[in-house]
Order: sequence, then structure tokens, then C-alpha cells
Amino acid sequence: MKPLKSLVSFMLIVALLTACSIEPKPIPYGEANCAHCNMTVADNRFGAELVNDKGKTVYFDSAECLAAFVNEQPEQGNNAAYLMVTDYTNPNQLINAREAHFLQSRELPSPMGMFLTAFTDKGTAQKMQQERGGRLLNWDEVVLAIQKNEKPE
Amino acid sequence: MKNPNRLIFILAHILALLLYGQTAFSATLKVCKSCPYTSVKQAVQKAKPGDTVLIDGGTYQEAGIEINKPLRLIGQNNPVIDSNYKGQILTITVDDVTIEGLTLKNIATSYIRDDAAIRVFRASNVRILNNTILNTYYGIYLQNSEKITIKDNVVKGENTGKTESALGNAIHLYYTDEVEISGNNVQGHRDGIYLEVVKNSKVHRNTSRNNQRYGMHFMFSNGNTYTYNVFRHNGAGVAVMYTDDVRMEHNTFEDNWGAAAYGLLLKDIRDSVIRNNIFRRNTTAIYMESSSRLDIKNNDFERNGWAIKLMTTCMDDTFRLNNFTGNSFDVSTNGTSQLNHFENNYWEKYTGYDLDKNGVGDVPYRPVSLYAMLVERVPPSVMFMRSFMVDLMDNMEKVLPSIIPENLVDEKPLMKRIKHDNDKEFAQVLRQTTGAAGRER
Repeated sequence: MKPLKSLVSFMLIVALLTACSIEPKPIPYGEANCAHCNMTVADNRFGAELVNDKGKTVYFDSAECLAAFVNEQPEQGNNAAYLMVTDYTNPNQLINAREAHFLQSRELPSPMGMFLTAFTDKGTAQKMQQERGGRLLNWDEVVLAIQKNEKPE
Repeated sequence: MKNPNRLIFILAHILALLLYGQTAFSATLKVCKSCPYTSVKQAVQKAKPGDTVLIDGGTYQEAGIEINKPLRLIGQNNPVIDSNYKGQILTITVDDVTIEGLTLKNIATSYIRDDAAIRVFRASNVRILNNTILNTYYGIYLQNSEKITIKDNVVKGENTGKTESALGNAIHLYYTDEVEISGNNVQGHRDGIYLEVVKNSKVHRNTSRNNQRYGMHFMFSNGNTYTYNVFRHNGAGVAVMYTDDVRMEHNTFEDNWGAAAYGLLLKDIRDSVIRNNIFRRNTTAIYMESSSRLDIKNNDFERNGWAIKLMTTCMDDTFRLNNFTGNSFDVSTNGTSQLNHFENNYWEKYTGYDLDKNGVGDVPYRPVSLYAMLVERVPPSVMFMRSFMVDLMDNMEKVLPSIIPENLVDEKPLMKRIKHDNDKEFAQVLRQTTGAAGRER
């Protein structure tokens, strides 16, 4: 009985620890629904997530949905431990939204029609801008653009 | 009076002559192992506008074939063009092109270029018929085009050995109007058929199954119709979003089952019609949010987890003459206010009576149960389904409604299942429920 008991308690502790750790989680593509638009999160070039101060993670199908969510519930955005978006050139790679470089270009459609793609590296974003046109934004500008519903010409 | 007629007559003749001339001068370029041409690309480059390139059997390792003049590219005896993961196969940038009877395969995942087996860019009158497209990133990708026919194709994604999200859509339409998509079989992609900013198009008799996200997906696409399609075993059958004026009739939404799965997902849509569809074994048959002025009529909801999840952001939606049978929950909602209308539906769970025998129940039916409200607010409470306490609570609530939305009620529930196929009986039901006195039985 004793080893079983210790095993169970060990597993419980592990479960509790993993539940409490506040860190970004990989997005379960195909299984999660976007917390803003309710679409299934499926395109691994655009997934985004918000981890709140208690470690609860909500997923989004795109950076524009994350921005819209933050616009609608500013307290969620301000208290978030992490706001993550995906590097367009590096699918599945989550990066901090506040440090990411965004390109809004007519030539690059994104899931919710706002033509937003995110890049870790400023150089890559600039190179993409030269190829495809559009404008470069930082996260705060993205949030503002979504609020005003600004789409590229 | 005669002159204009004669003019038209002469013009018609000139036109006919011109057309005849064109066909008479067009050539057929044959491609096969022992033909004048052994490469499709070569033949396409040599062809003159209006010619036909006939590919007779064989496998061709080719990619990057650009069609920039009106052509007919026809395959016979199952020719295969294999791109060997080296980019797109056919890129069409001109009007009046037909692609028929080819097998196209092996397009690599390309996140920045969105490679497809067939891409149509700024063209009209393109016909894509009877092709088989296997193991591609995007299958058919239309962009800024119009008047396209996509008929009887098979588009099949391979999702073994790679993450499913590394797949694009089977048929992808972007800023493309007046498209007819019929008789296609699409499977194993992200979305089966995706319409983004598409107008005046028709989607008929397609089968879309085993797609990771949606069987079909509308975004900002007004004025479209889809009928007689089957959506089976997708992440969600169909998602219609930010769209007005869609007709959805005679479709089957089946086995769209899973934690985040829906038969039909409606978000921000207006003035649309959902009629004569079958919703069978979906987690949630219809989920609707911020959707208004929808006419939901003559549908069958069979054995779903939830038949309808109606969020309080929905307004002026009408549910008439639908059958609700074998669903765990008929209707569920997330608040008490309710501005939608239910009338003359058949609810299997209805336990009322019909003393005047007019086919309409004498007491109203409230399709939202207390337990459904509870599960909506506290999802884990679904564990208690079919327990004695829940039944007791539900029955209490039926007698003394206090939590369930008061206005969400069918005042005239039907006593018998509606047989949609049987027009006579159907008409009778209609007559009876519009207030005419019922026949004595």
C-alpha cells in the first residue's frame, strides 16, 4: 500500500505543480477554439495565446483575435502574464507579442481578414515588407489598428 | 420591323462563322512517351491560343507549368503530373482555360507562398473538371478571379506523418465571384472548401469529410448558396462567419464529433435560410452567436449532443417545423433574455397532451431544460447527465419555471414527427397548425 500511496501523492504534486506553473503552452491545433471568434485554431502560422496571471491559457486563431480580445477586455490584457503570437516564418514558434514585429500587408491574408503577420526578427519583417508591401507595426499599434478596424488598401 | 431582325440574323451568322473559324484553326498537341511532345510544359509553351493539349497516359515529373494563353489541357488514360515537391504544378493567369482529367500530386508545404496544385490568378471562364489532386498543400486555389467551374474533382490530403496543421485548404477561393463548385470530393485538408470574400457562388452535391477544421467555411462571403452537400467527420461541418444572405438547403451534417466540434457554426450572420437539412450525431448541431433574421425550417435534428446552442446575442431568428429527436439537449442558451421565435416544431421530449386532437399540443413546450442551463454555466456538471436528481430538478422546473428563459417557448408544439418527404402530410400539418380546425379521427 505504501509505495502506491507515495506514488499517488507524488503524481498529485506533479499535477498541481504543472497546473500552477505560469508559462506559455504549445497551442493544441485542431482541438482548441479561438476565445474571441470561436473558430477552430488550425493554422499554425497564425495561432496566438494569452496566459493570465493565474496560469490559465486561452487560445486564438490569429493575432487580430488576440488584439480584439484585449480591446474588449482590457483588464485581461493588462493582467496577462504572457501575450504570445506565432512567428510567420517559423510555424509553431510562439513569440512575445509585445516584442514581435507585425506586418500588415494586402498580400498576406490572415485568418480573420486583417492581413496581420508576426515576425521575431525585424530584418525578416522588413524584407517581407519590401517583397509584399504594407506597413510595419508594433503590438500597441496592432491593438489600436484592430480597435479602429484599419485594413490595408 | 424586319430590318433589326435581319441585322441580328446576319450578325449571328458572322459570329457563328468566326467561332467555326476559330475551332477549325485550333490544333491538338499530343503529349505521351512516343508523341511529338514528351513534356507537358513544352507542349503548353508551343501551343497557340485556343489549342488543345492532350496528355495521353504516363507520369510526368514537372512543376511550374504556366498557362498564359487560352488552352484546353485534357488528360486521357489517367496521366499523372508529379511535382516532386518542387512548387506549384499549374498556374493559370488567363481567361478561358479548361483543365480536365489529370492527376496532380505532391506539393510541399510552403508557408509563405501557399503553393497549390492548380492556382488561378486574375482569370475568368476557367473550368477545372474531373481531376484528382493528391497529397498537396493547397489543392485548388482561386484568387481575384470570376466565373469559374470546379466540378467532379477529388482532392485528398495526406495527413500521415505530418501534423495536420501543415495542410492548406482543399479548394480555396479568395476574392473570387460567380463560382460553381459541384460534385467534388474533398478530404484530409485544413478546410474542405473555403470561401473568403466570395459572392454569388453555388456549392452543390459535394462531399467534404475528415478535414481538420471545417468541411466548408465562409468568411465575408455574401449571397451564396449551398445545397445537397454532405459534411461528415470534420472539426466542424460548416462555419459561416461575418456573412449575409446565405441559402443552406438539403445538406447533411453528420458525425462532426469532438470537444470543439459543431455541425454548423454561425457567427455574425444575417438574413439567411437554413431549410431541409439533416443534422445527425454532432456534438452541437447548430451553434449560433450574434446571428439574426435567420429562417430555420424543416430540418431534422437527430441524436446530437446539443441540437441548438442559441446565444443571447441572436435576435429575430425563427425555428419552424423542425424535428428534434434523440438529442441530449434540444436547446441551450447562456442567458434569460430571448428574442427568437419557435413555432410548430416536433419535440420528442414533449410530454404534453392534445385533447382537441388538432395535432398541436395543448400546453406549450419549453425546449431549454434547467439542466441545460446548468451545464452551460458549469460545464463539468455534464457528469450528472441522466441521474435521478437531474431528472427531478428538470421536472420541478417544468412545473414552476424560474431559471429557464421564459420567452424561449414553443407555444404550438406538434404531436407527430413531421415527414418532410411526404408533401401531402406536410401540407396537412401546415394547414392544421395555421389554425384550421383539425379533422376528426
